[in-house]
Amino acid sequence: MLKFPEFALTCGLALLIAAPVEAAGDPEKGAVVFKKCAACHQVGDGAKNRIGPHLNELIGRTAGGLDGFKYSKAMQDAGAGGMVWDTETLDAYLESPRTAVKGTRMAFPGLKDADDRADAIAYLAEYSKQASAPAETKTAAAPAESPAPSTTVETAPGTAANQPIPTHGVLHLGRMATPDEVAAWDIDVRPDGVGLPAGKGTVSQGEVLFTERCASCHGDFGEGAGRWPVLAGGRDTLKNDRPEKTIGSYWPYLSTVYDYVRRAMPYGDARSLNDNEVYAITAYMLYLNDVVTDEAFELSRANFSDVRLPNEANFTDDTRKQEAHYAVPAEPCMRDCKADVTITSRARVLNVTPDGGNDDAATKVD
Amino acid sequence: MSHPTSSQQMMPPQNRKTDRPGPSRRQFLSSGLLAGGAAVATGFGATRSAAAAGDPAITEIQDWNRYLGEGVVSRPYGVPSQFESQVIRRDVEWLTASRESSVSFTPLHELDGIITPNGLCFERHHAGIAEIDPSKHRLMINGLVDTPLVFTMQDLMRFPRENHVYFLECAANSGMEWRGAQLNGCQYTHGMVHCVVYTGVRLKHLLDEAGVKPSAKWLLPEGADASAMTRSIPMEKALDDCLVAFKMNGEALRPEQGYPVRLVVPGWEGNMWIKWLRRIEVGDQPWQQREETSKYTDLLANGTARRFTWVMDVKSVITSPSPQAPINHGRGKAVISGLAWSGNGRIKRVDVSLDGGRNWTTARLDGVSLPKALHRFYLDFDWDGSPLLLQSRAIDEAGFVQPTKDALRAARGSNSIYHNNGIQTWHVKADGTVENVEVS
Repeated sequence: MLKFPEFALTCGLALLIAAPVEAAGDPEKGAVVFKKCAACHQVGDGAKNRIGPHLNELIGRTAGGLDGFKYSKAMQDAGAGGMVWDTETLDAYLESPRTAVKGTRMAFPGLKDADDRADAIAYLAEYSKQASAPAETKTAAAPAESPAPSTTVETAPGTAANQPIPTHGVLHLGRMATPDEVAAWDIDVRPDGVGLPAGKGTVSQGEVLFTERCASCHGDFGEGAGRWPVLAGGRDTLKNDRPEKTIGSYWPYLSTVYDYVRRAMPYGDARSLNDNEVYAITAYMLYLNDVVTDEAFELSRANFSDVRLPNEANFTDDTRKQEAHYAVPAEPCMRDCKADVTITSRARVLNVTPDGGNDDAATKVD
Repeated sequence: MSHPTSSQQMMPPQNRKTDRPGPSRRQFLSSGLLAGGAAVATGFGATRSAAAAGDPAITEIQDWNRYLGEGVVSRPYGVPSQFESQVIRRDVEWLTASRESSVSFTPLHELDGIITPNGLCFERHHAGIAEIDPSKHRLMINGLVDTPLVFTMQDLMRFPRENHVYFLECAANSGMEWRGAQLNGCQYTHGMVHCVVYTGVRLKHLLDEAGVKPSAKWLLPEGADASAMTRSIPMEKALDDCLVAFKMNGEALRPEQGYPVRLVVPGWEGNMWIKWLRRIEVGDQPWQQREETSKYTDLLANGTARRFTWVMDVKSVITSPSPQAPINHGRGKAVISGLAWSGNGRIKRVDVSLDGGRNWTTARLDGVSLPKALHRFYLDFDWDGSPLLLQSRAIDEAGFVQPTKDALRAARGSNSIYHNNGIQTWHVKADGTVENVEVS
């Protein structure tokens, strides 16, 4: 548990970055810009004065006005003269610190790029309650507060106890997920088409993509390289001694292809295909399996659920309990249960970790 | 134990004080015994022949009896003795295309009791081990709920916690044995099972927070790894005994077991115990995901396939003697040790046969008997030095009797891959070595 206060900073930052942009700048980019400042300044939960003052509640702070930090005479004078940090004053100061406040101790040369300054200010504004709206916005709509309630806006010690308790549920734990968050993770697709995104792709487009992204493991025609999964062919082999279970011969639903490629393929580079590309690759799978024969065939959300895979009807529920050895409960035999016993089969792999070339020895683990 | 025959064997695999001369006669003798003890030795009678002059393990002063050992915190996170270095997970490299989507096996033949040490629990990954910063881990509940929610790890630890011991078995455990005896070792034939005590919170409590809608019938838990593993789970099971667990055997889950949080689905196939759990969707029908259609479905001889075969059936195996754990003593008292388990609950009884299933003796169940957990059984017997055909047969509290492999094949054929809970036979030969066989 002691770890969590440390995590809180990271949490808070990550979530704040996801919060809606209020200022002209982009706080997410600002977080990157701020790395230039982080050697001297801290911001966020537990931020302390270092070489420079901490920057929590910076917006609205009087220049040189933080108790406990030893400012330059120049900065104290600026504050005494009425200088308050806001978007405008910060922009000028960050552009050229020693021009804006002559005599400041801050050695930083400044951010010459106006966008960088706007981004950095937007980022810092996230840690200031008085910044135009973000504090309220974060609490209401953004996923900001939950991992460590004390981290995001409040920095004074002991504020966790003051956080409002949510009203949902029984124990009132967790916080509401935003629609964007749900959309980011909820990508599953069902056989009835629920979950399919908008989009489309043709067999021909899929062939190009498959050759580029998939064929190194699955083979140009889905035949599988080495022990990588075979995706096509195998029709009418399910009763064979060595059945070939492919999309065309075995898989019951096309939605599974779309769902799986979208969530987990290419192997080692998951989520790198866009929705149209997944439609195209799925269409190509249909073509390789002779479910469609036209290279111009275009798969889309509209026609997706019209496609049926050949083996759909051959799946049943769990019927193990009806098997003879389970169906008739009987006290097992203890004495003279069989006449004689002979060895009928011996381990085919005596050296249990052989080096390759023993492919026929055992069934693949799926 | 055999005497050392080469200098290779003489040197014990331990650190020696460097400020002393090379091996003395005393060291020679004591290290020989050590090496013999650490390796798998099959000869008999070493202690007997040493008895005349006195066993140097007794008559000589051992290093550890004289010199100081390492101080506290020399091993800040403790590790097993150097003499146990053979007790490790192993894989069969040619079994799969890549180690990132593969399995390693629990060394059952080296273990005793019912709890599997965390570092020895078998692994099954579909996209390698996700290394997740817990501060960046979130668990979402969405779908047919009143309030879609996000939990941090800290949130999860504010729910009431429970501790339960459960076995976890991969549905494909023993899957290589459908066509007859294949791999020579119970680590490989049965090592895709482990059993630990989980600390976690009831899945029901998380669902109550989100408020499940009346139409909700199914859940889709999802992992955060690069396979984004998903399985459909019926609501009744989720409400019955599923846990969202963050500790195993008292410490944080190991990364390879789903750190920081995994689903626990007691008694059901391991693939459903989603590791690196990041999301649970609530719905009104199953999603027919890849791992419940193209995989983890049981193809029968008639070409149809069973789907949603969740429960792990009653099963047992003798872990010692077994091919990797031969009998290395002579005739006389011997111990048969094994494991039994059932997804239906507790194990009621285990019978052991020494003659390939002709005659059976009820074994002794030892230690705690917990539902959906491993059970340890022993049969203490006198070995007359003749070959044996060892079998074990478990019966669970629901009355299911572990079937023979032939009975399973008669009902299903040989292409099911999954759910092979058939009775295992080990052939113990006169020299104490053991082979994986099947019998008539």
